[in-house]
Amino acid sequence: MSTLTITNLHVAVKDKEILKGVDLVLHEGETLALLGPNGHGKSTLLAAIMGNPNYTVTAGTIALDDKDVLAMSVDQRSKAGLFLAMQYPSEIPGVNSADFLKAAMNAHREKPLSLFEFYNKLQKSYKEMGIPFEMSNRNLNEGFSGGEKKRNEILQLKLLDPKFALLDEIDSGLDVDAMQVVASAIKEEQQKGRGFLVVSHYARLYDMIQPTRVAVMINGKIAVTGGPEIIKKIDTTGYEWIKTELGIEVQKDEQPMNKVSIGVCATREAVAPSKK
Amino acid sequence: MDITLVDNDIKDLTFDVKEGDTLNLNLAAFKGFPNSNIVVKVSANGHFKGAFADFSKGEGKFVLNVILEGDGSSCDWHLSSLAANQDKKVFDTSVTHLAKHTSAEMSNYGITMGESHLTFTGVSSITKGAIKTVTRQAAKIIVFDPLCDGRCSPVLKIDENDVDASHAAIVGRLNEDHLFYLQSRGISLPVAKRLITLGYLKPIESYFADQKLVAKIDGSIEEGI
Repeated sequence: MSTLTITNLHVAVKDKEILKGVDLVLHEGETLALLGPNGHGKSTLLAAIMGNPNYTVTAGTIALDDKDVLAMSVDQRSKAGLFLAMQYPSEIPGVNSADFLKAAMNAHREKPLSLFEFYNKLQKSYKEMGIPFEMSNRNLNEGFSGGEKKRNEILQLKLLDPKFALLDEIDSGLDVDAMQVVASAIKEEQQKGRGFLVVSHYARLYDMIQPTRVAVMINGKIAVTGGPEIIKKIDTTGYEWIKTELGIEVQKDEQPMNKVSIGVCATREAVAPSKK
Repeated sequence: MDITLVDNDIKDLTFDVKEGDTLNLNLAAFKGFPNSNIVVKVSANGHFKGAFADFSKGEGKFVLNVILEGDGSSCDWHLSSLAANQDKKVFDTSVTHLAKHTSAEMSNYGITMGESHLTFTGVSSITKGAIKTVTRQAAKIIVFDPLCDGRCSPVLKIDENDVDASHAAIVGRLNEDHLFYLQSRGISLPVAKRLITLGYLKPIESYFADQKLVAKIDGSIEEGI
């Protein structure tokens, strides 16, 4: 059984420290729900585990069993068994979905899949995720609705067979039916023994996928860990109890507006001659 | 009317598109850069559809001037260019709207590698009286290597009020988020770059009717990246 171990992880984005010493252990077969107010570092943790270059690890370690994840390139992390379902999957113009999936699946194998095997697997997964197979011929995520993008993320999870799946707000943008499909797919993958680290703000998804443990991220650290009862507590009372029970001041999510400048670039030729 | 010109056949030429006619012009260059000046005059309700797949080597300037002379005439232009090694290529693609209800789409896409220079310029002019005109000019260059140089300067000259005009210019490296997304699925950096670049250049093939030429363009894209 594999274990993902995060120790004293500090992560900065553009010199601003977001994670301030995260300690977390996740075993294969577990589903860990990661909750916390907006802007406290949940997505940052997931992105840092996967190696997003916008996030700089300034201290700490991430280990997958005895392997140093931080020493691996992004594609090596995927091949080692990590998968990140993104909150905002990129739309990539010109890259055909089927070509992309084939390249991704073959990257995880020593011998490339035969065309027959590939199409069989593809058709099966599209059907299971309720995505029309014709969409495999479209550009990757381009013009997909929010729900289609999220289903497409889970479809990739099924096809790439990771040890640990990190789900970043996989339920945002999903309608009730799509939520059912996504939750069923996650449950099926749980039964295969994968480990899940799931970020969501809503108890509804957690009700469906039944996490085994819960961690709450406050101010860039794991403030509380415990059982699923914490989800209900947060769902009904919010995060106020963190301050009253644990004495931790919950910092407000401050996102100052970026500096913007708007210019005019069309030139209008003078129409009327100036009067003298 | 369908016209296909390859390599040395691309030279200084003038085309007159008669009233109600359509000119489909396919250009493809694989050898030396085709220094040339092409003028297309389009009469009322005539249409010019042009596509240029440029995988040539060398330096020079290619000029396209489309003049929409008649009411309801249109222009639809697509260019994909690959500049590599010491190439120095300039594409100047302009359209002039002289009449009412005319429309134009000018799309120039390029990749610059090695120590090459690639420049897209062009002016979309809307003259007085050319009301209800729609014109779009887009130029995009992906810069691959530290020593190459990409420049885009699409210009709009607007002399009429009742029009819809826009331009866009993008020069930059491959999108980091796109690369991260592909790599996070186990795809190595060189393969991720290749997939994105293929996706960037290949759409030009859809404008070509001659399948043998499409296969040759396909080969040049593969070879180029």
